[in-house]
Order: sequence, then C-alpha cells, then structure tokens
Amino acid sequence: MSALLQFLIAGLKNGAIYSLVALGFTIVYAATGAINFAQGEFFMLGGMLGVLLVNLGLPLPIALLLAVVGTAAIGALFEVLAIRPIADGDPLRIIMVTIGGSVLLRQIALHIFGPDEVPLPPFTQGTSIKVLGAAIELQTVWIWVLTAIAMLGLFVLYRRTAFGRAMRATAINREAARLVGIDTRFMVTASFALAAGLGAVAGLAVAPLTQTAFDVGAGIGVKGFSAAILGGLGNPVAAVGGGLILGMMESLTAGYINPLYKDAVALVVLLAVLFVRPQGLFGGSGREKV
Amino acid sequence: MARLGTARWCVTVLLLLVLSIALVGCSSASSSSTGSGSSGSSGSPIKVGAILSLTGPYAALGASEKNALELEVKRINDAGGLGGSQIEVIIEDDATDEAKAVAAATKLIEQDKVVAILGATGTGQSMAVRTVINRAGVPQISMAGGNAITGTFDPLVFQTPWPNSIIVPFVLKKMATDGHTKIAVLSDSSGYGKDGLAIITADAPKNGMTIVANEVFKPGDTDYSAQLTKVKNSGADAILLWTAGKEGAAIVKQAESLGLKLPMYGGSGQAKIEFPKGAGTAAEGFVFGTGKSLVPANWGAGTDEFKVVDDFATRYQAAYGAAPDIFAGHAFDALNIFADSVKRSGGDTSAAKLRDAIEQTSGLVGFGGKFTFSSSDHNGLAEKDLSLYKIVNGTWVPIQ
Repeated sequence: MSALLQFLIAGLKNGAIYSLVALGFTIVYAATGAINFAQGEFFMLGGMLGVLLVNLGLPLPIALLLAVVGTAAIGALFEVLAIRPIADGDPLRIIMVTIGGSVLLRQIALHIFGPDEVPLPPFTQGTSIKVLGAAIELQTVWIWVLTAIAMLGLFVLYRRTAFGRAMRATAINREAARLVGIDTRFMVTASFALAAGLGAVAGLAVAPLTQTAFDVGAGIGVKGFSAAILGGLGNPVAAVGGGLILGMMESLTAGYINPLYKDAVALVVLLAVLFVRPQGLFGGSGREKV
Repeated sequence: MARLGTARWCVTVLLLLVLSIALVGCSSASSSSTGSGSSGSSGSPIKVGAILSLTGPYAALGASEKNALELEVKRINDAGGLGGSQIEVIIEDDATDEAKAVAAATKLIEQDKVVAILGATGTGQSMAVRTVINRAGVPQISMAGGNAITGTFDPLVFQTPWPNSIIVPFVLKKMATDGHTKIAVLSDSSGYGKDGLAIITADAPKNGMTIVANEVFKPGDTDYSAQLTKVKNSGADAILLWTAGKEGAAIVKQAESLGLKLPMYGGSGQAKIEFPKGAGTAAEGFVFGTGKSLVPANWGAGTDEFKVVDDFATRYQAAYGAAPDIFAGHAFDALNIFADSVKRSGGDTSAAKLRDAIEQTSGLVGFGGKFTFSSSDHNGLAEKDLSLYKIVNGTWVPIQ
C-alpha cells in the first residue's frame, strides 16, 4: 500500500513537471500552429541560469525569479530572431527552425556552462513529510504549488485580462485579430516568452532533486511533447491533465513492470494517441484553442 | 517590404556569425590534440588516440582522464619525448555513448592514423570499439573497470583499472564482515553496471549473503522512486550500489529523502569528489572499495608505489588545484604503459611490435599497482592493490 502511494507521489511529481513543459508546447502551438521543439532547452536554461545566479552569490528567491525572467527573455529573443521572419509561412518551416534552435541553444549552453552536472539548493530545507509510509520531499510540494500557481495564473490571464483575450483572439484567427487592432506579432513573441518562462519554472523546480546539465533538454522535451499530445494540443487544462497522466503511467510502469521501460512509456503513449485519438484525451472539436 | 528585407539580411548575417563561432567552438571541444609543438623534435610525432567521455553520465571521469593525459604528455615531451619524437594525444569525446565511441575509434584510426587507442572511459564503450580495434590490429589500453574487458580475452586489449572481478569480491567480503546477510543491489544498465551485477550475483552466496532486491536503473535516469521503494520494502539490511556515473550521487540523495536509512556500499564508481559533493550529507558513512592509490599514504612511505603515486598527485594538484581521483590515475597508467612500451620496442610503433611490447610490460609501477602483463593476463592487478574507504565529512578516509 505504501509502495503504491510512493509510486503515485513520484508520478504526480514528474507529472507536474511534464505539465509545465506541455503548457509551453500548447501555448506556442495555439499562437503559431507549430510545435516549438526548443521548449526542452528552455527547461534546461531555466535550471542552468538559476545555478549560475546562485553561484554568483544572489539569494535563492532572487536568483529563481531572474532565471525565469531571463529565460523568458531568451524565448522572446529566439522568437524575434528565428521565428518572426517566417511566422506567416508554413508551420513545418517553423518546426524545423525550432529543432535547429534547440541544437544551437544546447551547444551554446555546453560552451558557457561546461558538461558537468550542477546542483541547485532546495527551495526550503527540511526533511520529507511522511504520509502513510510514503515520503514526500519538500521540493515535491514546491513543484505542485508552482504548477498550481502556473495553471491559476494562466487561467486568470486568459479569461480575465485584456491581454489574455488578445492572445486567445490571435490563436483563433490571426487575420481577424489583426483587423480588430491586436498586434499579432507581439502576441506571438509573448507566447514564446510565456512558454519559455513556464519551461524555466519546471527546470528550476526539479533541479534541486535531479541536478541539471546542458543536455537535459532533449529528454524532457520529448516527454512534455507527449504529454501535450496526450492531453490535446491547444488547451492548457488538457496539457496539465496529459502531463499528470503521463507521469503516473511512467511511475506505475517503473514500479510494477520494469523501471527500464519508464522512458519508453512517453513514446508508446505518443504513438498510441496519434493512432487512436489524435486530438488527445481532452481535445474537443478544436473550435477554440486556448 | 524594403524594411523587412533589411531586417532579414541583418538577421541572416548575425545567425551566420553565431553559427560559425559555434562550429569553431564545437570542433575544438570534441577533438583536441596536445603534445607536439613544443621543443624541436627529431622525428614525426607519435600519435596516440584517446576516446574519453567528456560529456554524458561519465563526464566527470573523462575530465579527470583528460587532465592526467595532458599532464603526462607534457612531462614526457618536455623531457625530450620518446626516443626524440614528441607524443601527440588526439582526444575524442564519445559522450558516454557506444555508437559515438565506435565512430571516434574509426576516425582516430583511419583519419588520424594513431598507433594505439587509450580508452574508452566506460566499459560499454570500450567493448563496443573492439571490432574496430580488431579490424585495424591497433592495440587498445582501456581505462574502464568492467571485468569483460580482459575477462573476455583479446590479444589487442589491455586494462589499467582494477576490474570488477577483484573489486566486487573485495567489497562483498566487507559487507559480510559487517554482519549483513540480506542485501539489496542497485546497479545501472550500462556495460559497467551489468558487468558488476553478474559478478555480484555469482559471489554474494559465497559470502553467505542473499540478494533480496535487484533493482536496475538507466544511465541518465533522474528519478529512482520505483527502485528505492522496492528496496525499502524488501527487508534488506544493506545496499550495494554499482554505478560509475553521476546517478550515484542523485540516487543516494533520493534514498535519504525517502527515509531509507540502510548502510550503503559501492565500488570504484564512487571514488570521485563529485560523489560526496553531489550527495551532500546523504553520502556520509558510505563505504566503497577501490585502489590503495586513492590515498597514496596507503602504500607506506618509501615504497616504489608511494613514490610514483605521490609524485603524480603532487604534480596533478599543482597543475589543477585538486587531488587526482582514480580515473586520472587510470589515464596516467594507460599513457605510461604506452610510453614505456614504445621505449622498449626501440621506437617501433608498428601495430604488432607495439602490442608485443605492451604485453611484455613487467614490474611497471603505476597508480593501479605494479603492472605485469602476460599472454593470458592483460591487467596484472590483484586484491593486494585495493583498500576500503568511508565517506566522512564530505571526503574519503581509508578504513579496514
């Protein structure tokens, strides 16, 4: 019983991380119709920037905030330099550019930060919380809290602010949005910045548990993408749902079948969803994307 | 439209600039050569290739090995080289990946025409390049600890670390002496982990211990809750960890945070400062077995081994500001065995002559111990070269 609980806790922990990354995929897809395969590298950059700032002596909360803002800025810069010139074109071109961008970001990170794994201090020190024979690390609680705040924040942004309504309008029909006076190019840049920021939050939240390095982006990118597809691209709630479900499936596979198959779960799920129900578990008719 | 054209042109130039910087940077990071270029040499440089894991789970090991190789090559070249010829080491990064190691071996042999290969850092990679080695007939001196490297005998392959076949029984004996009877084994699915697990499974019963949990994790994995939960519920009284990668620190840390308080043991894979640094307080009390040379004083002042190891440690500390770990030591041995063999072959670096010269290495004092190879033993080390250590206050101390 306590083993099952421990597996579920691990599943929800990893699932929350996948949710944040999947949200990034969903937001960019909604804005441009393309998949941003550099999303995993934003996850990596968040963690690496956080470590860099902490090593420069900044107090942890400041370092975390600056790392998120910094990564969001890099995301915006990436969009302006690489995506904007081709934004009105084929989504396939955009996808290829993001793949190239992800390789570039990874190599730049290798040169700046080196190949070593680096640790980030836990956000709060303390021993794990014991519940019914299972243990919940404090950092795991932070991951859940941050994911909940991200979801809530996005909900408020999209439904209650003018800015959010403008983003939704851009996603539904870019021409119409432009006609009513929305700066659609800025909306696309803002989407990238938001997605990068969310990826950075995920990277920072999990770095104290797993350490981070220049090459963690590719793996998490695949899993976040699978989670986004599982939930249904274009819907933030679906992205979170997909992430949590994928995390649980991985954890239960590792616990009850074979830990070595854990990484295969995301890929099997991706293929299964694309074959059986391409719009994802929660994907609707695709009328409104955000 | 004109404005868009200018902007696009500027962005293109900027991107090309960044790309060329990245390419120049990339090519120098993945392959570098050190050595020839110092004082005038009489002959063309002797080229030896090194396949190191400079990135990936074994990055810490590869970095130490690179330091040691560069230090030793400089020392030999400054003293005149080998028979007047300078040594040139060409280093390739295999990123702890077997396919990349094979590609690196092919490149080193066919393009750079090296006379020998030092490496690889990891067992899986060392075994993977064996087909390339045999096809080219070029000798290989591996710096990885898998038993299979010399256990599955190949006339061209030699090994400088203490293989799993002597470290595993050594550590198991200590676990039995400490009174453990039910052990849990945590190993990774790399060549080194699988190699170690096979020997652990065979030898644990010989020491009166049963394996009540046998959990495996993948290199690069970051979450071990499944494996650790099963270990917790298995009723084991001690854990044996068999991995050389960076996962060692993470798994020990996660074990502590899950409330797993069992005594933990390991092998050479934890004999690097990154292990206690990454694991923090979770590594306190961790016991591992590796060579005596990790703490040179183990040999006793005045012995040949102490003189060689202490001299290397002093020079390494002066050059890099940190004590050498065992992986630096394995690279030190590989290069010195190579240099000694070239000297004995009279400068003849043809593949067959060089291989024979390496095999005739006898009584060469190195970091691993005294190396004596034969036509059936390409490792030459034994349990007398080992010692046990415990992590105390973030570093290791020798124990009985």
